[in-house]
Amino acid sequence: MQHLANLTELMVAGEAAAIAVDRLSHVYAGTNGGVAALADITLSVGKGRFVVIVGPSGCGKTSLLMMLAGLRQPSQGSILCLGRPIPKPDPQRVGVIFQEASLFPWLSTLDNIEFPLSLRGVPRHERRRRSEAMLQLVGLDGFGERYPHELSGGMKQRVSIARGLVQDPPLLLMDEPFAALDEQTRMTMGHELLRIWSTTSKTVLFITHSLTEAVYLADEVLVMSARPGRLIDHIEVTLPRPRSYEMMATEQFGRLRDRIWQQIRKTP
Amino acid sequence: MSWPAPATVRWLLLGLLLVLWEVLPLTGLLPELFLPALSKTLGVLYTDRQIYLAALLVTLYEVAFSMLIACGLGILVGALVGGTALLRDLLLPVFSCLYAVPIVILYPIFTAWFGIGSSSKIAFAGVYGFFPVMLSTAAGIRSIDPQFLLAARSMGATLSQQVLRVIIPASLPTVFAGLRLGGALTIIGVVVSEMLTASAGIGYLVTLNRTILDSPRVFAGILAILVLSIAYDKLARALENRMVVWQSAGRQPRSTPRLGATAMPAPAAA
Repeated sequence: MQHLANLTELMVAGEAAAIAVDRLSHVYAGTNGGVAALADITLSVGKGRFVVIVGPSGCGKTSLLMMLAGLRQPSQGSILCLGRPIPKPDPQRVGVIFQEASLFPWLSTLDNIEFPLSLRGVPRHERRRRSEAMLQLVGLDGFGERYPHELSGGMKQRVSIARGLVQDPPLLLMDEPFAALDEQTRMTMGHELLRIWSTTSKTVLFITHSLTEAVYLADEVLVMSARPGRLIDHIEVTLPRPRSYEMMATEQFGRLRDRIWQQIRKTP
Repeated sequence: MSWPAPATVRWLLLGLLLVLWEVLPLTGLLPELFLPALSKTLGVLYTDRQIYLAALLVTLYEVAFSMLIACGLGILVGALVGGTALLRDLLLPVFSCLYAVPIVILYPIFTAWFGIGSSSKIAFAGVYGFFPVMLSTAAGIRSIDPQFLLAARSMGATLSQQVLRVIIPASLPTVFAGLRLGGALTIIGVVVSEMLTASAGIGYLVTLNRTILDSPRVFAGILAILVLSIAYDKLARALENRMVVWQSAGRQPRSTPRLGATAMPAPAAA
């Protein structure tokens, strides 16, 4: 981890980094002085990298993601996404995918995917062209006119991913997107995500509980402690790409997983 | 042997009731005073059709205006109460209690304030139908999945876009259910108030003919109101059904695909 002394250094580093966070802390207001959610987080994510944040429940990972997305402002510290602050959501710069697909049930799949474009007033045929391209990319060709209640959980998350990608943001934030899916679907979706990512040069910040998922997907794993969350380890995953299921059985994989688990176990 | 389709059974039952309506009074099993024969009722409806039509128009006029009040005001107040935490905590318990009161008992107040003409009926029926519309609008807005708004915000939706593109569509099914009920109550409210004090309208005709013990004309009036209510209910349900695609799915984002949906994915394509 780099410790950066001031904002100027941060911005210089921010030129090269997709995400630069400096001494970020956050306290939620409440009785008894409030709840400290995050404590002094400093990190940077290089462009085009796939970085995974792993940590126990309640450690503040989602809060961190909300701030990176511009949905919330931290009590202290600064954030730069692609070199600029993010005071409010900027879907053309930062795409967000949540654990709940939250597709609008009154819209068809294609209408859901192009929703962000229609918010911006993009003309109809252009919206349709882009949303259909995204539909193909996530492997749901032919399901464009279906409604969300006709889709399985995995399919809904694919649509959610398509929606997050439709404006082609260079940075993608994903908050445990596969947590609500069964294990087999998770594995398939993880593999699919890597496939989609490999066709673009996007930067991905992915949050998960699952140690296996973290090692399988990541270039780097950032380990967070329990609340108040702080970064306690930074692990390079040197497994070759493209990743394959067989790698999960290797000793290297096991060692990486184990290292993460040991770190998490240690925190009080 | 297998049972006939439910729809057929329903029609048969209806037919049976109509037959009984005709036969029971004619054979003297029920006195004509209590239940005039169907043929007599329809006959009287036909001969007096000008009178009944005029009365129906008055009733419809009053129903239309009171529906405007009930639905318009109901949605507006419901949206405000449902959407603002302050108003909700202050007013929702009050309105829920008032809903339980038999408002009919307050009708004399309306006649004192608005006289015995159409205005008192419109005001009364408007208030009568206001409550279900307001309460279901408030409920509809409160029960919107907050994740929808989070997703919309993350996609860059402004506040007005959140209201127009997310909140309104999401609460529409519940609002429509409330409108159906509220509209039905305005019809009841108008008819009842016409029966209590009036000089025009179907309710007035029913009361008038009741006092002179003219059963066929009483039942003719009842039949007219019955037809009006059923027609309204069918229309309201048809409108509601246009939204049924996502009506049940709107509250449970992770509902399983409906039986009969063909989109079951192959194992490899999750």
